[in-house]
Parts: sequence; structure tokens; C-alpha cells
Amino acid sequence: MSKHTVSRRAFLMGSAALSGAGLVRAANIKTRLWPGNRNDVQCGIIGYGPQGRDITATLARVPGAQVAAICDTYGPMLRRAQRDAPEATRHEDYREILDNPDIQAIIVATPTHLHRDIAVNALQAGKNVYCEAPMASSIEDAKAIARAARDATGQIFQVGQTYRSNPQHRSVFQFMRSGAIGKPAMARGQWHAKESWRRASPSADRVRELNWRLDPAITTGLIGEAALLQMDVAYWVLGELPASVHGFGQIMAWDDGREVPDTIQAIFEFPSGLHMMFDATLASSFDEAYEAYYGSDSTILFRDRGKAWMFKEVDAPMLGWEVYARTDRFYKETGIALLANATQLDAQNVDPTEDDPNVETPLWYALQEFMDNHAFGPYPPAANWERGLEAAAVAITANQAIMERAQRDIDPASYTLG
Amino acid sequence: MQTVRMALNAMATRFELLLHGDDAVLLRGAGEEALAEIKRLEQQLSFYDPTSEISQLNANASKEPVRVTPRLYSLLRKAAEIHNETHGAFDVTVGPLMRCWGFVRGRGTWPEEHERKEALTKTGMDKVVLNDAERTVAFRQPGMALDLGAIGKGYAIEEAGMFLREGGITSALLHGGTSTMLAIGTPPQNTDGWPIGISDPLDDSQMLTSTSIRDEALSVSAPRGKGFQKDGKMWGHVIDPRKGYPVQGATLSAVAHPSAMICDAISTALLAMRREDGKQVQQKFHGMRTLCVYDDTGAADLVSLEFHSTHPTNQ
Repeated sequence: MSKHTVSRRAFLMGSAALSGAGLVRAANIKTRLWPGNRNDVQCGIIGYGPQGRDITATLARVPGAQVAAICDTYGPMLRRAQRDAPEATRHEDYREILDNPDIQAIIVATPTHLHRDIAVNALQAGKNVYCEAPMASSIEDAKAIARAARDATGQIFQVGQTYRSNPQHRSVFQFMRSGAIGKPAMARGQWHAKESWRRASPSADRVRELNWRLDPAITTGLIGEAALLQMDVAYWVLGELPASVHGFGQIMAWDDGREVPDTIQAIFEFPSGLHMMFDATLASSFDEAYEAYYGSDSTILFRDRGKAWMFKEVDAPMLGWEVYARTDRFYKETGIALLANATQLDAQNVDPTEDDPNVETPLWYALQEFMDNHAFGPYPPAANWERGLEAAAVAITANQAIMERAQRDIDPASYTLG
Repeated sequence: MQTVRMALNAMATRFELLLHGDDAVLLRGAGEEALAEIKRLEQQLSFYDPTSEISQLNANASKEPVRVTPRLYSLLRKAAEIHNETHGAFDVTVGPLMRCWGFVRGRGTWPEEHERKEALTKTGMDKVVLNDAERTVAFRQPGMALDLGAIGKGYAIEEAGMFLREGGITSALLHGGTSTMLAIGTPPQNTDGWPIGISDPLDDSQMLTSTSIRDEALSVSAPRGKGFQKDGKMWGHVIDPRKGYPVQGATLSAVAHPSAMICDAISTALLAMRREDGKQVQQKFHGMRTLCVYDDTGAADLVSLEFHSTHPTNQ
């Protein structure tokens, strides 16, 4: 199928549009009568590691999606695929999935350094593509994917920077942009876990392949493979891309012959003069992951995939609404919870101190956006190729700075296709 | 030979994993993947986490059929099968009864009779509609709730065990809260298997018996531990889903079988069954060994079916 071929679905949608906008609505509503609707978007998952499995399990609950084919090069992963998605066909060569004209969407969930060929070939085969983040492990690869996505007019390309589609993040984004923290002072973030990042297999070749995250030639390290989504939020809410990064990396816990640091610190400099410090470690799980934005009036803390609290300075102006808001204690500090749909919860008689029962994971919202784009689009998704290229450039340059224990400017040309 | 020990807090209990092999780095790698799978299943199956798949199912399945992931669907199918095999003694719809008896977040209280009767109307796997073609789950009654507490831990251990084997592990013991465990191979110094002691349900300091397991799971259940006293009697946190009262069958049950999920479910069901029924159930599962303690005669009576102890049971 050439990329210019109009898919059967797009054609049907187009003909409905000709007969009036009302019919388009009706058609869309009908396609949402899942499961098993023939209009479900037929998806091919390429790469069946933890992320591929997570995506498959999530798609099973996203309206309008059908996992129709799964590819992995390793037998045990395909056996897992059979249990997780019994109706999907299984393949060791992803080209078989690209050759299948019934497959409309390709989800690329392989190791990062393998994204390029698959994503570019999928786009050239006319497929809509959801590519996991980081988009690539080299600027050159990231640009090749971005170029293919830009040139694939009429096709969807979304990158897995899931917080961009998360209603909770979007809601807090508004607080940040409305100046609620006052004059920004600095930002910091962390990603902490206690795990070795080692993967095991009875086959030595397979062990090498599985441990791509620890291969200095192809990995983007902790800053790319663990911290990327959080960093993506940082420059999104700050409204500017970092200009340079100073990196440090150490092996503190897992001295097993690895060269890739298990503990890192990176300080990002933004054009406005603001600095953000990020640290990540595989040695300690203390306090897990969060980001904090410090300002003259308040500090906003993000954690748990989009929960957020505001900590006001005592001399900060009253905002009004905060007297009604739910608060949580953090040792001696009091955080005002920033909830995406506080009034909705109130209407449903859900106690605001409980977790929202309607909330889905950021991955669910991202995949829902991808599926909705098939029905209503194509339009540029929140995490489009430009966002993917920016995130890849930040992660790749920061990882280089960490590996070299040096300061590196981020080439502005790496952020765009020019 | 190297040994790696790992632990995880999940499903309101502590999982521990002991691995033996040649390369500690790879042992840990395989162990981390297995424990991560348990964590993932906790997020999917938790009755208490409102964002879990099971909570969303509970919230909506009375209103409309809810489509679930293939693996949760096959787990519920399995739960329905075990429900049939045990003539209803095992039932994942006990949620409303557990709530009515105050066992969901507390130690339990005696409910009003009308509350108990009402909870009973919302209980029963026969009121759950499983649609294979659509892969949906629906409740026939409002207010029903699936609680996978009596099978989830065993299921998670079984899945984790599969990950360990795929990772090349040939000698490991994995347990959740010491009540359900899975043995892969044998420990380095003991070719019979992993020795497991079972403590006396009436006196924790005493060992009731011991056995060994090899490429096999073992689950021990007892209603005591969490419960309350009334009229000089202990009422434990395991409810007989058919009667709506805390179980009055075995005071302890131990089940060994290749499947950790089946061990977990059957050991719970045996607590709600009389000794003759327990025997029938054991015969339905190939390769199952059971051990039950009954005190219905006034004295502890230990009934062992194919349960090969490493020392004679002296009762």
C-alpha cells in the first residue's frame, strides 16, 4: 500500500462527510459500539517487551482499537503475546505486518535504537504510527523519523510522550502558565528506583540484545529511558527548550562491569536563565519520581503520573478558590491539590480526598487520542514528530554530557528539521 | 553457586524470592522481571485501588457489559470453573459479604440479619455473565463486586514463576506472605525439593507437619489471623459464599499442586467445606495433595490426602 492510498476507513469517513456533517457524527458514534466492531482500528504492535505488553493490555480497553498483529524476534515474548491477545496474529518479521493492507496503525515498542527503520518503513507503507519515546537514540535517526512523519501527509504520527495527552497534566499546565507560581526561580526533578536494569535469558545472544539499555553505544541512559517523560513536561510547562546541559554520572550500586551510570545528575540551562536540576538513580527508590517548579509565590509539585499540589508562600496573593480546595500534608508543608476535574467529582459525590475512580493512565489517554485521530483526523497530535524530535535531542545531548561528565550546548538545529 | 534474595511489598503482603544459580547478575535480572509482573498484576487486580481494572469492572458491570483484557477474562473463566468444581465454596463475588461482615477494611463485626441477607442476594458466580465472544463481564444484580483476594496472589505467583523460567531460572522459591509459594527445581543441597514447614493453626510456635515441594506450588489457608470473638467463638475473615457466614469447615488447609493459582483458590474453598466434600474436590484436580485440620469433633483431626509429609503426622 503506498502512502498516498486512502485507507478504506478514511474513504468511508470521507464519503459520509459528503452527505453532511450529521452523518459523520453518526458514523463515529457507531464505530464506538465496541467490542469487536468491524470498524475498529486494526493495530500491529512491533516489539513485545514490557512496553509492548503494557500497550496491548491498554488497547484492549481503549474504544475503537483492535490489536490484530504482534511482532517480536524472541519466542517467549510471542508466547506471552498469544496469552495477552489470543486473536492477534504473531510474527517474527515486522515487514509481514507492514505488508498486511488491513493493518492501519503500527505501534513501535522495540528498543529505542531499532525505532528508525520500523517507523520510517511503516510510514512509507502508508500506516499511521505511534512510536514509543524516546523516538530515537541518535539525532540522525530522530531526524530521519521526523522527516518521514512530516512528509507523510494524511497519516498520523504520534510519539509516546504520554503526559502531553494526560488531562491531569493539561489542567496543571494551565495553572503554571497562568503565573500561579509567581516569578519562576528554578525547577528540579527526580526518578528513583532500586533495580539493576539487567535482563536475563537462557541464551547469551539474547542477553546481549535484551540489555540494550546498558550498551553505551546505543542507550540514551537514565535521562532518556527513565526521565524522558518528566523532562518533556518540564520544558512544556516552562515554555522554553533547554540551551545547554551539564551532566554527571556514577556507578554507585551495580558495579557488575557496566559502563552506563546507575546514578546521574543533569543541570539544564534555559534561555530565560532558569535552571533545572534532574537526578536519577537505580540505587535507591526513596521518594520515587516527581518534578517541582519553584517560584516567588508558590511551588508546584507533580507526582504519580500527573497528580499535583501547590505549596503557597505565606506572602503570596490569595487566589480565591484555594480555600475550598482539598489539602494534603507533606510533613510540615500543606499542599493544595490541583485536581483536573474537582467540580465533576463533586457532582458525582466522590469525596475529593479519594482518588478519582474515573481516571485512566497517561498511556490510556495517549492511545485514546491516537485512536480518536483515526476517527476524526488526521490532525497533529499533542505529541507530534516535532515534540518527539525535541525530546530526543534533549535526551541524547544530556546523555552525552553525562557520559563525558561535561557541559554541552544543545545545538538549536537539533530541535528542528530546519 | 550464587544466591540472590529479593523482596517486594504488593497485594497487602510481602513477597520474597530466593534464587540459586551461576550468575548473580542474571539471577537478579530475572527476579526483577518476575517481581515487576507481580506489581503490574496488583495494579490490575486490586480491589482497593479505584483505578485498577477490577475496580472499574466493579463500578460498571451492573450497568452494562464491561470488556476486559484477555488475561483478566481467562482468569475470571478459571475462577468460574473452580467455583463449579467446588460447588460454590470458592466464589470471587464475596465482595458484598466481606463488606457486610466488616472485613474489607476492618477486623469484622456481626452484621444485622437483613444486611447479611441482602449481601447474599448480591453474591454468586451464577449472577456473573461471562461472554466469551465479546470478552465482556456483566452482573445480574446491582451492587455486586468481584474480589480476587482468594486467587490473585496465587495467580500472580504463577505468572511470575513463568517469567522466572523464561529467564533461565532453574532453582527458586517464591512466596507471598508465606501463605502461597512456588518452587522451581530444587535447592542446591537438597535434591528432594524445598522443605516447607506448616505451623499449627492453634499454636504458631508448634510445627504441625512439613513436606517438600519441587516444581510445585503450595498454599496454606486458615480463617484465623483476622477476625473477631463472639459468644466465645472466633469468627474469621473467610466467608462461606453459599451461607453468608464465616466458614465453619477446616481450621487449616494446605494444598499442593503445580498451579499456584489453583492452590490458592482450593485452599480457601476447603475452609468452607466438610471433610467428605473436600476429598471429592481433591480428586478432581490431577496431582493435587491436600492436608486439612478439622476441629468439629472437639479435638484437632488432621486429614491428609496424598500429602507426603517428611515426618509422620502424629495427632
